[in-house]
Amino acid sequence: MTVLKTEGLTKIYGSGQSEVTALDNANLKVEQGEFAAIIGTSGSGKSTLLHMLGGLDRPTSGKVFVDGKEIFTLKDEALTIFRRRKIGFVFQSFNLVPTLNVYENIVFPIQLDGSEPDEAFVKEVIDALGIGKMTSRLPNQLSGGQQQRVAIARALAAKPAIILADEPTGNLDSKTSQDVLSLLKVTGKKFSQTIVMITHNEAIAQMADRIIRIEDGHITIGGENND
Amino acid sequence: MTKVKNGKVIRKLAARELGKNKKLNVVVILSIVLTCLLFTTLATIGGSLMNGMQEETMRQVGARSMMGFKEALPEDYELLSTAKGIKNLSYNVMVGEGYNSEFKEISLEIRYAGSDQAAKDMFSYPTEGRLPEKENEIAMSDIALRTLGFEPKLGQEIHLVINTDGKITEHDLTLCGWWQGDPINLAQQSWVSPELGKKIAPLRKKGDDSVGVCGYMAVNFDFESSYDIEGQAAELISSLYEKEDLGRMAKQTGINWAYVGSSVDSGFVVAGSAFVLLIFFAGYLIIYNIFYINTSANIRSYGLLKTIGTTSRQLKRMVRIQACIYCLVGIPLGLVTGVLAGKGLMGFIMNTMNVVSRDSYSVSGRLLCMICLFAALFTFLTVMISCRKPCRMAGAVSPIEALRYNETDISTKKTDKKTGRITPLAVARNNMSRSRKKTVVVVLSLTLSIVLVNTMFTLLGGIDQDKYIADSIVGDINITHDDRGDNWNELTKGITPDIIDRFSSIEGCEVHPAYYEAGMVRDDGAHTEKVQGLLDKYGSTDEDTAVILEASVKDKSHSSNIYGIDEEILSCIEPSAGSIDLEKFRNGRYAIVSTYLYCADDENSVQIYQPGDKITVDYADKGAREYEVLAVAPMPYPISVKAYNFFQTDIIVPEEEYFAADDEPAAVSLMINTDDNDGSAAEQCSAVCDEDGSPLIYKDKADYLKEFEDLLNMVKMVGGTLSGILALIGILNFVNAVVTGILSRKRELAMMNAVGMTSSQQKAMLRWEGACYAVLTAVCSAVLAALVSLLAVKGLGEGLFFFRYHFTLLPLICCIPVLLALSAAIPSVAYKFICRESVVERLRENG
Ligand SMILES: Nc1ncnc2c1ncn2[C@@H]1O[C@H](COP(=O)(O)OP(=O)(O)O)[C@@H](O)[C@H]1O
Ligand SMILES: [Mg+2]
Repeated sequence: MTVLKTEGLTKIYGSGQSEVTALDNANLKVEQGEFAAIIGTSGSGKSTLLHMLGGLDRPTSGKVFVDGKEIFTLKDEALTIFRRRKIGFVFQSFNLVPTLNVYENIVFPIQLDGSEPDEAFVKEVIDALGIGKMTSRLPNQLSGGQQQRVAIARALAAKPAIILADEPTGNLDSKTSQDVLSLLKVTGKKFSQTIVMITHNEAIAQMADRIIRIEDGHITIGGENND
Repeated sequence: MTKVKNGKVIRKLAARELGKNKKLNVVVILSIVLTCLLFTTLATIGGSLMNGMQEETMRQVGARSMMGFKEALPEDYELLSTAKGIKNLSYNVMVGEGYNSEFKEISLEIRYAGSDQAAKDMFSYPTEGRLPEKENEIAMSDIALRTLGFEPKLGQEIHLVINTDGKITEHDLTLCGWWQGDPINLAQQSWVSPELGKKIAPLRKKGDDSVGVCGYMAVNFDFESSYDIEGQAAELISSLYEKEDLGRMAKQTGINWAYVGSSVDSGFVVAGSAFVLLIFFAGYLIIYNIFYINTSANIRSYGLLKTIGTTSRQLKRMVRIQACIYCLVGIPLGLVTGVLAGKGLMGFIMNTMNVVSRDSYSVSGRLLCMICLFAALFTFLTVMISCRKPCRMAGAVSPIEALRYNETDISTKKTDKKTGRITPLAVARNNMSRSRKKTVVVVLSLTLSIVLVNTMFTLLGGIDQDKYIADSIVGDINITHDDRGDNWNELTKGITPDIIDRFSSIEGCEVHPAYYEAGMVRDDGAHTEKVQGLLDKYGSTDEDTAVILEASVKDKSHSSNIYGIDEEILSCIEPSAGSIDLEKFRNGRYAIVSTYLYCADDENSVQIYQPGDKITVDYADKGAREYEVLAVAPMPYPISVKAYNFFQTDIIVPEEEYFAADDEPAAVSLMINTDDNDGSAAEQCSAVCDEDGSPLIYKDKADYLKEFEDLLNMVKMVGGTLSGILALIGILNFVNAVVTGILSRKRELAMMNAVGMTSSQQKAMLRWEGACYAVLTAVCSAVLAALVSLLAVKGLGEGLFFFRYHFTLLPLICCIPVLLALSAAIPSVAYKFICRESVVERLRENG
């Protein structure tokens, strides 16, 4: 089943002289349960693509379908609500709300939605990520790797249709990066979660089920899963 | 140690850093301008008030000179003209007092001047015409002229009766000069020629000790500096005179109060210092806050600078240099606006207060320089003190920490946080506690202004009009007898039945006479003992009083003012002990009694007669009559005899009782109530008093009401301006805190939005934050306002005779909706402001 699909996605920043085509007619499909890596050099348009996929920014033209629903027909407010139900984000840094403790951060999107978290499931996720001992700590008491694991837990806890991660290990040393990435992959499989992850690191990309290559705003390889 | 020349780099860096955040710069500079403006305005008003007060004191004293000898002889003048260290020496000679019947409330002093300087020193130099030269010439103030019934016009013929220490002479003179007299001065001046003056009052010779003031030279002069005039005076006298003259000179030395430090009202100094502190504090709050936020916003780049080798000292210096740059822009702007605002406000004060001698309140160039210097210095100080902590913060930043820095990290390591349910309110509460200092600053400044508003209204509400004017007037109009002349009987019993009839016959007038005679109280054993008690207690404070008290003990009697009044006047009397029972008072066997002792401050402590005591009074005509004391209360001052013995007891009895004891009853004063709306009755009363030769003095409630309004206006204006300024500062602080709080959390808010917090949820959260400020402020100000009201205002009010204290928090309660509205509106606006950038743009920042 296709969870995520784009049609002719194009994003142009600025206008006239300073016009930048960050994304040019990108077409892409991601299947349920897949772990896809988007790889490309710095400035090639990876983040731009991810932001479109997650409904954080609107494209200049083109469409994005999540779970078969076209997301940009939604108004901002509705889009945000859609996001907290269907999409889990993991950013490179500054993922957590500094005044909320670890557990609160994890259930934050669920509670924003006015629903009660499925405590057993949240506990399972927390245990799977090995952060069970630090649920009442505040983010600034955690190491960078721990913070990223909490961010992954938050993304998983809401049982979204898809998790989008923008260089989640960009700020970590290579040992920690390895740990975090393995966890992301393992837990993704365990909870049969669809994951799209950005990286500019070939080695990291190799861990993925599929590699989507992007150059100068064009998807050159792996837009459609041809397996 | 070699001094590395890195100053230039640091300065450059400081300037660059400034360029980074233009909006914040504007806010910092504005807050410096505001602080400077407040200081300058305060200094301008304070300076011109002080100037004006000194001038006004000089005018009251009637002299500009620092020092004078009041009863000097020609040889003293000679001696002084050779003395070193003094300048502006001049003399005038008192010739006599104007004795024309028109001079009642206003009196006229007639002198001749040794030089023009002498006239100038007394604020009495003709602005039109000149000083007299010929024998038949006179120069006079316009007020004196108008009192005599003339318009100021040169060449006017004036018939002047002069009383020279009891010797009366009459003169026909021609007006050769006049000037604007000072209405605050009841003694107006006039100048005759030395030729005429010497004839009427020849100069005194040494050894002539006859009573009186005429014929003496009044010698005035200044010292080089106004510092320690008393010391300089003592030194001068001892250097000029031999032993035998020292006593004579010391006795007549007059130092102008206007120059003596203590002449500046201590209340004025306290109020001034309080204002300085207040502005200082307010300025500190806002500037500190902005600097703090500015530094925290820049903390990452400071960390970076440190990583690449900038030392703590250099970083601190950078922040200080930034502060100086801000000052350089802010202070001049503040000075200019402040001086303008100060002058404007001063004009406004003069208008409301009806100040006549406006020129006294103008600010000279030299004073202006001092004001600017003062304001600039204080503003600079405020800025420097405000940036001390941020400076330290910048210096203490560690490279690693700075890179991880967000506002929370500043506080000491937090312990774990209990898990709770997340609602916008809960998140808002967490956010409040993350920078407690900021919360305290905002809440404090808002609280301050609200407390002030509340205090002002408590003061305004407590000022009691009736009480205020009760000391000046009772009823609508008071008529008293002129106190000129030494005929005690005429003075105290001058309002004869036919005069009373004249007023009674005026339509709309209801006349209530206060009959009076001086009598004696016979003290029985117990009360004599009480008098002895007073002697023991106060005998040492005043010699004269002691003599009188001793005599009273010995004679078992003391002097008394006996009043006969009707029930209308009775209703104006407020007893301090006992109560006024109308039935009892009517039957004539009861009296209202009050004892007065010259040297006692506390009226209540000298009341030897208490309700229920028996008191025996000796009337002049009918001898002794005994009363029971009904209540303790003095005769209302405006209609009392207004002359005091060292020790006396007022006895107030009903009219009928008084008539029975006095063969020829006459009144000391009249209380008149009018029932006319157009003021015609009052006009007719006033006309009776203005008749030629009439010895009656007219006082109207309306005049005092005006004075009362002036007082109210002043409280309103001062309090209003102050709380307005504080409210402004409070709101600015609030805006500042909210806006910077939102700006510094821009990324965080974007991230929250990315993971699903809708903008309406974010707005709700921010509004809850605002509401937390509002609620905290409301609670703090309620507590503080109540404390201030109960501790300060109540105490202050007890010292003011016209104040009736009521506890109220109503003004504060009225402020709360405003506060809530603000707390909801400001975050919404600020949020809209950051939403102009998309979530993605905000996420990318520093990313
Ligand atoms: N808000 C923006 N305004 C203008 N140009 C932008 C903006 N965001 C991204 N770009 C440009 O779009 C291109 C792609 O950026 P991005 O998607 O962040 O690349 P990547 O994440 O692959 O490093 C870059 O050339 C970048 O400069
Ligand atoms: Mg990127």
